[in-house]
Amino acid sequence: MSDKVKKMQEIAREILEKGEAKVVIGWEKGTHWYLSPPAFIDKPEEVERLVWDDFCHNNLSKYLKDYVNHEGKVAIFVKGCDSRAFNRLLQDKQIERDKVILIGIPCHGLKDQDKAKELGENADIPKAKKCVECRYPNPLVYDYFIGEEKALDEVAAASEARDFSDVEAIETLSPDEKYEFWNKQYERCLRCYACRNVCPACSCRECIFDQTRVGWIGKANNASENQFFALTRAMHVAGLCIECGECERVCPMNIPIMLLNKKLIKDINLLFGPYDAGVDVDGKLPLGHFDKNDPEEFM
Amino acid sequence: MSVKEAQANWEPKILVFACNWCTYAGADLAGLSRLQYPPNVRVLRVPCSGRVNPQFVIRAFQRGIDGVLVAGCHPGDCHYVTGNYFTRRRYLLMQRLLQYVGVDPERFQARWISGSEGPKFQQVVKEITEQIRAMGPNRKLRDAQ
Repeated sequence: MSDKVKKMQEIAREILEKGEAKVVIGWEKGTHWYLSPPAFIDKPEEVERLVWDDFCHNNLSKYLKDYVNHEGKVAIFVKGCDSRAFNRLLQDKQIERDKVILIGIPCHGLKDQDKAKELGENADIPKAKKCVECRYPNPLVYDYFIGEEKALDEVAAASEARDFSDVEAIETLSPDEKYEFWNKQYERCLRCYACRNVCPACSCRECIFDQTRVGWIGKANNASENQFFALTRAMHVAGLCIECGECERVCPMNIPIMLLNKKLIKDINLLFGPYDAGVDVDGKLPLGHFDKNDPEEFM
Repeated sequence: MSVKEAQANWEPKILVFACNWCTYAGADLAGLSRLQYPPNVRVLRVPCSGRVNPQFVIRAFQRGIDGVLVAGCHPGDCHYVTGNYFTRRRYLLMQRLLQYVGVDPERFQARWISGSEGPKFQQVVKEITEQIRAMGPNRKLRDAQ
């Protein structure tokens, strides 16, 4: 057991024994060695379940929404991306800062679960795509802190090497090729809405896709309705996406959802200036305000 | 009418979201001035171009519209002071996203047309109709029915 895990369990035990929080949300070892699902610990003797390894992908901040009406505090572990998700929910006034105890863990970059399953336990498993491109490995906000912050020059190097080549590759295709590509992807969509459920940017009280009687979207599962879903979801998280890549990870059909999100992030940066969601809680959202000097293309 | 005949007689269907205070007045002026423009456009009056939800646009394509124009007051002239600034941000993004998923750029356009710009309304509608006519019916994002 590594020092970090020991420290995690120690802090969790302390919090539960003192009664500072009613529940601690962390990760535990799942059915397979390459799975580390979330763990909800409410008894001090159960803290041994907590782990921290290469597969703690789940973004725990979204679970805070389930505890909005609970009395007492909730403690959660946050990686860099989780802390951005926390800021995101805070910015939308979905949760209260004083009701949450944050335990920050700097993230070393997690490994790809699908590749791990394929290659086996002893192989050299590559990092998950979102982690290769990660620019915020250190938690931005925390009450407790475990381990050492990742060196800033390493982080700076990652920001400079920001990679939109996958988006650009699609941009260069002809309209028909693009349409064929996306049609193929979204033909597979089951509309299980897992991508929405897991998304820290999706926090509407009633989601548009659940308003079946209004008729925004049909019940039929066909390419047209699925594309409506894809485009609408992408537009709804425009300017809110924190690039945690959870939508893509949970997709049972392996649809490259982040390609849509990254396209919007790229355009927002290009059109309205550099912006990273979930970094500044008091900042304005890109689509929530305007600048009189925005690019003018509609004359 | 047979399928072949229907294809031969195909006329583009174009939906114009016109803001009540500028573009709708502009279209009205075009009519009052007896300016001829193609009858392929369906003008849909909205209180402000900011009212036009991106979902309306996708829905239009789903249900058989061949081209969409969103038109409103020039920036700075909005009846509600800032509505069209938000529209501008939203549709700068939306336009790029639609192109990214393969919708031809001509099929979705946005323009600022003021209440005194009757001739501009005529010209924009003519232009778009010609572009869409040259491209043929829209098959993308279409509902199968």
